[in-house]
Amino acid sequence: MIVFWIAVGVLSAAVAGLILRRAARAMAGGGDADSTLPLYQRQLSEIEDLADRGLIAADERRSTHAEAARRLLSAANAAGPAWTAPAMARPVLLAMAVAAPVAALGLYLGLASPGYRDQPYAQRLDQWRAAPPTQLDAPRMAAVLRSVTGERPTDPEPYRFLAIAEMASGDAGAAARALREALRLAPDRADLWESLGEALMVAAEGEVTPQAAAAFQRALEQDPQAATARFHLARGQIEAGEVEAGLAQWRLLLSDLPTADPRRPVLQAAIADVSSGPRPAAPAVVGAPEIAAMVDGLAARLVAEPDDPEGWVRLVRSYSVLGDVARRDAALTQAKARYADNPQILSELAKAAAVEPMR
Amino acid sequence: MIVEIGAFAVILSLVLSVLQTGASTLARIRRSPVLAAVGEGAALSAFAALAVAFAALVYAFVVSDFSVANVTANSHTAKPLLYRVGGAWGSHEGSMLMWCLALTGFGALLAGYGRGLSAGLKAVAVATQGALGVAFLAYTVFASNPFWRLADPPVEGRSLNPLLQDPALILHPPFLYVGYVGLSVVFSLAIAALVEGRADAAWARWVRPWTLAAWSALTVGITLGAFWAYYELGWGGWWFWDPVENASFMPWLIATALLHSAVVTERRGALPGWTIFLALGGYTFSMLGAFLVRSGVLTSVHAFAVDPTRGVLLLTILGVTAGLGFALFAWRAPAMARGGMFAPISRESALVLNNILLAAATATVLLGTLYPLIREAMAGEAISVGPPYFNLTFTPLMFILLLLLPAGPLLAWKRADAGAALQRLWVAALLAALAAVATLALAEPRSLFGAAGLALGVWLIIGSLTEVAERIRLFRVPGREVLRRLGGLPRGAWGMTLAHAGLGVFVLGAVFETTWKAETAEVLALGQRLEVAGYVLTLEDVAPTLGPNYEAEQATLRATAPDGTLACMARPERRLYSAGGQTTSEVAICTRGLSHLYVVLGERRTGVDGGPVWLVTGYWNPWALLIFLGPGLMAFGGLISLSDRRLRLVAGRRAAPALAPAAKPEPVGELT
Repeated sequence: MIVFWIAVGVLSAAVAGLILRRAARAMAGGGDADSTLPLYQRQLSEIEDLADRGLIAADERRSTHAEAARRLLSAANAAGPAWTAPAMARPVLLAMAVAAPVAALGLYLGLASPGYRDQPYAQRLDQWRAAPPTQLDAPRMAAVLRSVTGERPTDPEPYRFLAIAEMASGDAGAAARALREALRLAPDRADLWESLGEALMVAAEGEVTPQAAAAFQRALEQDPQAATARFHLARGQIEAGEVEAGLAQWRLLLSDLPTADPRRPVLQAAIADVSSGPRPAAPAVVGAPEIAAMVDGLAARLVAEPDDPEGWVRLVRSYSVLGDVARRDAALTQAKARYADNPQILSELAKAAAVEPMR
Repeated sequence: MIVEIGAFAVILSLVLSVLQTGASTLARIRRSPVLAAVGEGAALSAFAALAVAFAALVYAFVVSDFSVANVTANSHTAKPLLYRVGGAWGSHEGSMLMWCLALTGFGALLAGYGRGLSAGLKAVAVATQGALGVAFLAYTVFASNPFWRLADPPVEGRSLNPLLQDPALILHPPFLYVGYVGLSVVFSLAIAALVEGRADAAWARWVRPWTLAAWSALTVGITLGAFWAYYELGWGGWWFWDPVENASFMPWLIATALLHSAVVTERRGALPGWTIFLALGGYTFSMLGAFLVRSGVLTSVHAFAVDPTRGVLLLTILGVTAGLGFALFAWRAPAMARGGMFAPISRESALVLNNILLAAATATVLLGTLYPLIREAMAGEAISVGPPYFNLTFTPLMFILLLLLPAGPLLAWKRADAGAALQRLWVAALLAALAAVATLALAEPRSLFGAAGLALGVWLIIGSLTEVAERIRLFRVPGREVLRRLGGLPRGAWGMTLAHAGLGVFVLGAVFETTWKAETAEVLALGQRLEVAGYVLTLEDVAPTLGPNYEAEQATLRATAPDGTLACMARPERRLYSAGGQTTSEVAICTRGLSHLYVVLGERRTGVDGGPVWLVTGYWNPWALLIFLGPGLMAFGGLISLSDRRLRLVAGRRAAPALAPAAKPEPVGELT
């Protein structure tokens, strides 16, 4: 704050000083002479010069000369007496020079945010890094991890964590980019390939795109048992119409999963769902457990810190994507009540709720 | 702290501008040199304060301070440093701050270097410049403040339009604003002339350097904009008659007319009213441009915030400023002295004709720009006035103007012999005719427009050089005398020749490019090829690359020249900017002599066999380089003229003592 006031003082003094110096010079009689006459005099001498070099004819010289001389005379007549005002009272001058900074300061205090410190990104990043990770929301966590990846450019782990944080912030594209970086460093890690496939899938609103499928295939090349990759590749088959082949893959996967695996109930529900309906219906929660866990984390954080419109929009969108209609509606109702007077957030919420679930 | 210092400095600049206006007005009323000095001091310090404010804004962008709303909306930490700096004037608020910086900067120049100006003219001009500053600074402080803060700064910024992340666009706005706002000084001088009832040769000599500076900067700014559109948009063109382009082109046309009419007023004391009218018009068109671009009535990359409130405010500033200026003109101009007489065939008449044609051209551009807007407002129906309209109206006017141009500088003042002037142009006429015949014989497909256009370009270039040849009496006096005369030519004369020849260069490029450009678009898989104007482009590879804040697909195409040799390896890109989700294409340009082979990579698709294919467009833009070199020459000519010491009154006064009979050899000839 002191720096600010010193700067304001220096700036004000410089401004007042500049004005007073000009005024003092004028009072000392350093006024400017009228340049009109010298200008015409120069025009006359230019004509003489041209004529001397034979560039204008003698009669033209005479008429041009006469015209310029006429203008010189009329300018001399038109020029009024030079400005001479009595010196002004010094206090009046001083008041004028000081009034400007004072008025500016008054306006500033009324209009701006006095005392609000600068917040350079690097400084905020340092604060976030110093804070315990549990206190950071996903975007801040992502920012911290991004700076860590810069410091450890050969380590795939920070990129993996960054991808999780980006995913939790709702930016699947950024998550996919981080995972690609991680894979550039560790191309033989099946889990990273699986996560990349999922990120690409979420970015495509749940569709197992050729790129996502390719990532899952790479995961299987590294680890033929990779459960998430098998699950989604089979789901892709079911969506493409090869229901029986897909179901067979799922059943095979179920038999491979240990009995204590938390993913078993999800998979069983999915199998039941698909085999009962004539068309593949969306399982209750088709996302991988990590995604579901992230969404739960977000929901928990919103209970603790509910004043986060972006968070609510993200939560509603996540439930929409996961196809969890009941929780989506519950979250939507809560958020709508909270932001009833903010039409922009309401429209974003509506958009988030309308996102197609991934199938 | 620094951001808040900026917030204070911009308000200080506003208050100082108020003081500048008040003190200077009072100085004129009471004929007080001390009050005038106070006004000048306020003008200088208003600029200093605003420079501090601008530096603070640039700082906020460089360190990515997202507690500043403007930085959040227009920057991103992943953006390279250069574009973070450029982001400071890439936004609506920042660009208005830059506008104000130019406005107060020109006010400070007027106050600090206007010593040769008579006291009354100077005081009124400084007061007017201050009032213009008050209008735009008040708008900046109260309606579009770049220092507004956010209580809860977000983690990341929302980036800048990736199309604008380009070196040309870092420089384009500053040049354009120096040009636009340079015309404000001319406006202020016009108001001063009206108030003082004095628009004589001395006044015109004062108007010229400001107009020249503004005109040169505008020329560079517009050319940079066109160049950017050419290589960044990837549409293969360089001028689209887009309302935003027109908004910058109209002040340029008016400034061009003003440059020429000010010569008449300066040399002969004639046309004072018309020169003042143009001086008022130049800045009015600048403000119109600012309004069109910022009010949201136009949709384009320039249409910053679509904010009707700001549009109404800018329209009010435009209406009040121009309205008061022209009202004063209507009241005072009829009483102005008429000045020197001249015959229908004379240098003066030629310059009047130049002005009539340029004014008519401006009117057609204005109509073509505003008519769709008015029509949409009245009838609610969107129509588009495109190149066909401008080709039918603007192009013929320019054709006549350029046809007559080389004769103008050869005509004498007051009364001239048209026949003699034309006689001197026989070489230019012969060469132009030869160019036309050669074009018709050689260029495929045959085009009468192309032949006529090329002839016009040659006519302009040779015609401009003829004037120099005349001055130095080439082939008519001994070589040493020619060299002596060449050395004695004033810079103003060189400037004029360069500008006129540059126009010819531009015409050559523009006509050749529009008439004989070729375009081929094809969907290519790896290894496939397309042909454009004899060049064969083979798609060898497409690979992903990572930029600082984008991901891209980069294609590698082997370009084979018609003679079978390797022309170049073209590497166009298609970029995805993650922060905003926009896709842009990065054109690859192979320069072949004066021509460009221009390659655009389209989006990836799935081909019939399931493999990836890409839409590749190849353009052959013959002589495209001249389109940008020509205006470059013109702007360079403007700068050369500006450095002519006869335009610097103070220096000139010292160099040429009153009535001393040519102690130093004065330059030959006159300024035009």
